Amino acid sequence: MQFEWTAGQDAFRHKIRDFLHANLPADWEKFSEHGPASPALTAFARDFCVKLAEAGILFPHWPVEMGGEGLGPWEQQILSEEMWIAGEPRGGQYMNVNWIGPTLEKYGTPEQKARYLEPITRGESLWCQGFSEPDAGSDLASLRTRATLSDGNYVINGQKIWTSYAGLADTCFLLTRTSDDRKKGITIILVPMDTPGITVRQIPSLIGEGDIHEVFFDDVTVPETARFGEEGQAWEIVAYSLRNERLGIPRFTLARAALDRAVAMLKEQGRFAREYVRIEAARCAALCEAAGTANYAVVQKRVDGLAIGAESSSARYATVMAERAVCEFVVEFLPEALAGASPYLKMHHQRGIVAGVAAGSAEIQLNIIASDVLELPREPR
Amino acid sequence: MHLSLNEDQRQVLDFIDSLARPYAGVPLHDAGLTLESAELDAALVENGFLDVLMVEELGPVTAALVVEKLARLPFALEAAASSFVRPLIDPDLPRPLCLVEEGRTDGPVRFLRPGASVVIVGPSGVRSFKADESVIAAAQEDALYAYPVAFLTSFPDAMAAHEVDPAEVLRSWRVGIAAEAAGLLGAALASTVTYVSERKQFGRPLATFQGMRHRLAEDQVMTNSVYWLALRAAGTRDPGDAALALLHAQEAAKRVCYDYHQFLGGMGMTLEHPLHLWTYRLKLLTAELGGRGEQGLAAAEALWG
Repeated sequence: MQFEWTAGQDAFRHKIRDFLHANLPADWEKFSEHGPASPALTAFARDFCVKLAEAGILFPHWPVEMGGEGLGPWEQQILSEEMWIAGEPRGGQYMNVNWIGPTLEKYGTPEQKARYLEPITRGESLWCQGFSEPDAGSDLASLRTRATLSDGNYVINGQKIWTSYAGLADTCFLLTRTSDDRKKGITIILVPMDTPGITVRQIPSLIGEGDIHEVFFDDVTVPETARFGEEGQAWEIVAYSLRNERLGIPRFTLARAALDRAVAMLKEQGRFAREYVRIEAARCAALCEAAGTANYAVVQKRVDGLAIGAESSSARYATVMAERAVCEFVVEFLPEALAGASPYLKMHHQRGIVAGVAAGSAEIQLNIIASDVLELPREPR
Repeated sequence: MHLSLNEDQRQVLDFIDSLARPYAGVPLHDAGLTLESAELDAALVENGFLDVLMVEELGPVTAALVVEKLARLPFALEAAASSFVRPLIDPDLPRPLCLVEEGRTDGPVRFLRPGASVVIVGPSGVRSFKADESVIAAAQEDALYAYPVAFLTSFPDAMAAHEVDPAEVLRSWRVGIAAEAAGLLGAALASTVTYVSERKQFGRPLATFQGMRHRLAEDQVMTNSVYWLALRAAGTRDPGDAALALLHAQEAAKRVCYDYHQFLGGMGMTLEHPLHLWTYRLKLLTAELGGRGEQGLAAAEALWG
């Protein structure tokens, strides 16, 4: 076992840092207060990701046959860490390179790959994830948005909610119901967001502008070729995607950076001498590092080519614990941070409080750990 | 970064598995608060398992893996101090080692008995002496810990002084205890999981109730991360990592000891079930080196000055 980064990995990290230093504007920290899904950050990301693509660091972790450098999971982790800690200047495009691209490659038709992969690799496309519905949040398999095949077209009717990036996305990775057979009746359709019949309404949120929407589908008609995978294959494909997504955001790095920033502010103001503040800060650091090592253990499994199972849920829950602790630390000891004194800490808070909700709730992770890590007998249904 | 076990580590752990197999079960009719085995201890010494830190190709991460593994056994073994502190001060110091913090010498001392080496660590340095009956007061016979404990009543005038940085000894001490706690946490979790999966109430296993499932899952998250933080602290040799690892271990221990006895209900109050053999070691470790607060202060000092 080796807990230090190799020289090559360190060099890769520095390459990204240097790029960020050279390409983020001087007022970036204030600017990044806009949520990752805000119009401002989305517009910024459209330029920034093109530059990343030109510099060869948009998707260096992709296999060579997909146009990447085949650098592997550790480099993907380092890339994600450096971007997230900087406030995620890729906006919603982080999803493209983390899971949408690889999922397209694995399950897409040649036409779908040709149509969607290239804009992703140029840093020019934005996707949204049409999963949750008003009555299907954690219970995703009960979703009801219906897609009916008729004369070679799917006609889609229904509603999605809490959809990030929907306001500006080009394409929706949409889960629809094509039969009543619960999980086996769900089908993915790739829907261009400018298709007639789609209405997007932004919902004001705690986590920043432009992040949460409801999306209505009224007789939205797309050709059958927009179906992704087979009818009823969505659950398998989403499980594959979410395994990437759950590790996708290395939130513990930003939590740790926010903690360091909070401590620096407290020290500067002479407020870091009291023992209970110091102990509480250390508790937060332990939770951040705990989440980090738990995540790294999962990355190692990817490196070793092993299947990623429920341990990614354990790592993710560790991250939720860290985010919660740091958010609470800042509010308790630096309340002014969320009221203008620190854009960075406010930005962290708005991203941190989502940790236990986005990409599968914390409680769902606990269910998965109970059943698949601890192998407890299942709950009766 | 490479977090898989290497071939040497796999072999060492496999060897310990086979060596310790006869000791993996709790002997029947021997229910007590503490289990010890001189034979197992001797076998570990004979095979060099408490000296792996000094073996170049093995080193501190493997030592942490060994300590973690041994702590999973129902038998209390003096492995952490021998593996992590003895090599730093004197590899020939007689075992068991009893680590005592300067200024905190009144508490119960684990493994204290005639012939043990008492090592006192503090700002004035690292000193040791061989304990005899004149300096030992027995603890109450049914003391509520699953480690053998006794009290120090006095100190000899002359002690051996060791030329070693006390801060380095403290760091290594924290790593050893964090690794030991990781193993205890893992074994206590496994023992509880088995019980609640088999025990039926209301016509179904207790483990099918979400009130219990979620808490056990959170306990798994803590247990898993204590393991990784302990190994990392061993690997990086960083004082901040060591303090964070022990802090997290003590936080976890406090939480899970309550949960597990709660989940076992009446059975968890008996000595018929072996759970206490792990939890009542963990409980004593929550007090090690001043407890969570002191690890927190040490970590804060290391991280932020």
